[in-house]
Amino acid sequence: MDYILEVKNLRKEFKNFTLDNISFNLEPGYIMGFIGPNGAGKSTTIKLIMNLLNKDGGEIKIFGKDHIMYEKEVKDRIGFVYDENYYYEDLTINSMKNIVASFYSKWDDKKFNQYIKEFDLNPKAKIKTLSKGMKMKFSLAIALSHNADLIIMDEPTSGLDPVFRREILDILYSVIQDDRKSIFFSTHITTDLEKIADYITFVNKGKIVFSQAKDDILQNYAIVKGGLDMLDKDIRKAFIGLRETSVGFEGLTDNVNKIRNLFGDKVLIEKASLEDIMVYMVRG
Amino acid sequence: MLGLLKRDFLLMVSSKQMLIFLLFYIPFFILISESFIPEIFYFMIIVFYTYMMSIMSFSFDVTGKSKYIMNSLPISRGELILYKYLSTFVYFAASIVYAGVYLWIIDSLKLVSVDYFNLKQIANALPTVMIFISILYPVYFRFEPKIAQIIQMVVLMVFFTIIGNISFTGDKGILKYISLLQWKQFMVIAIVMYILSFILSNQLYKKRDI
Repeated sequence: MDYILEVKNLRKEFKNFTLDNISFNLEPGYIMGFIGPNGAGKSTTIKLIMNLLNKDGGEIKIFGKDHIMYEKEVKDRIGFVYDENYYYEDLTINSMKNIVASFYSKWDDKKFNQYIKEFDLNPKAKIKTLSKGMKMKFSLAIALSHNADLIIMDEPTSGLDPVFRREILDILYSVIQDDRKSIFFSTHITTDLEKIADYITFVNKGKIVFSQAKDDILQNYAIVKGGLDMLDKDIRKAFIGLRETSVGFEGLTDNVNKIRNLFGDKVLIEKASLEDIMVYMVRG
Repeated sequence: MLGLLKRDFLLMVSSKQMLIFLLFYIPFFILISESFIPEIFYFMIIVFYTYMMSIMSFSFDVTGKSKYIMNSLPISRGELILYKYLSTFVYFAASIVYAGVYLWIIDSLKLVSVDYFNLKQIANALPTVMIFISILYPVYFRFEPKIAQIIQMVVLMVFFTIIGNISFTGDKGILKYISLLQWKQFMVIAIVMYILSFILSNQLYKKRDI
C-alpha cells in the first residue's frame, strides 16, 4: 500500500510532556481528522511532520520518502494551514503571495487569483487589516495554489463562525475529489470532521487512542442511557466512560451487543458522536 | 535565495522602524559624534547598517513568529543558514551605496565635512561586520531571542568601547595596538571566524526546535 503520510512510532520528549509512539497512515484520496483535547499532542505531531520540531524517535514518511532527507522535495508538495496567522502582517496579500510563490516549483497564479476572488479578498489589503476568517482564507488560498498533494491543517476552523467553517469544509471537500490528494486536519470541532473526514485519529496525553475509519468508529461506539439502579461494579466496567446524575446514567460503550444482552430494552442506546467519544474517553 | 533577498528588502521597506533608522541614524550619529575622527563616520555607518539589516532579516525567519511559515516552505535549514551568511555581503554592498549617497549629499550641502567614499574604511568595515556576525548568529541560533538580545547588547557595548578608544589617538589609545595588526591578518581572522561560525550555526539550527 502506498501511503501519502506514514507516521511510525513517533516520539518527542519535553520536560512535562511526551509524545509516545504515535503511529498512523493516510492513503491518497482521503481526509484524516486528528482529534484530541488541548495539550494532547496534536500540534506537536503536526510540527514534527513539518520538521519544525526534531523527533526523538520513530519515522515519518511523506509520499513514501523520509521527511528530513527529502525535506525540500516533500515540502514542495505540502500545503499547510496553521491555527494562527504567521505571515508578515505588514505586507499586502499580493506581496506575501509573491514571496511564498517563489519557493514552490508548481505555483499556479491563476488558481491563487481564483481563490482570492472566491474568498472576496482584496489583494492590495495588508495582512494585518484582515479578520481572523480572512487570514485563514488567505492561508488556505496559499496552501491550495501550488498543486499540493497533501494539505496539513492545524485547527484551521477554530475561532471561525459556522458560515466560514462551512465554506472551508466545502473547499476541502472539493479538493479531495482528486483522488491523488489527501488532507490531514487537526481540530477540536468534531462536527466538522463528521461532515468530511474519512478517517479519525484520536490522540490523548501523547498517546494514540485509535486511528480508524470514521464510519467504523461511529458504528462501534454508542451512548447508553438508563437508570442508576441498573449499575453495579461489573456493569460500570463495561463502559469506557460513565456520567452519573441523580436521575440516571449516561455512558459510552464500544460493545453495543454486550449492553443489549445485559439490559435488553431497559436502556436507551443512541449513536455516539465524535464529540461524545472524545469527551468520555478523556474524562473516563 | 533571491526570493529570500527580495522578501528581506520588501519587509525592511514596509517596516517603519527600519525606515526611521535608515533615515535618521546618519544625522543622529553626526550630531553625537563630534569628537570622533571624521573618517570613522563612514566605517561606523556601514558597520551599523549592515549589522542592523542582518539582524532584522534574522527576525523574519529565525526569531520572529513567521519562522513557522519560513520553515514550512520548501527550503532546508541548511539553505536558510547559507542564505543568512551570504546575505551579509549583499547588505554590506547596499550599505556602502546608501551611506555613500547620504554622506555625499551632506557633504555637498556643506553641512558637515564627512568622508563619503573611503576604500580604507570599507576595507576595515568588512572584517568588522564579519566578526560581529560570526559572534551573533550562533548566539541567535542557539538561544531564545531574549537571551540572544542581552548577549547582543554586551557585544555592542564592547564594540562601542573599542570604537570610543580608537577615536582617542594618544599613546594609551587602542588604535596604537590595532595598527600593529595588519589588515590582511584582520581579514584572515574574520574569514576563519565567519566559516567556523557558519559551521556552528548549521549544527545548532539543525538540532533546534522551531
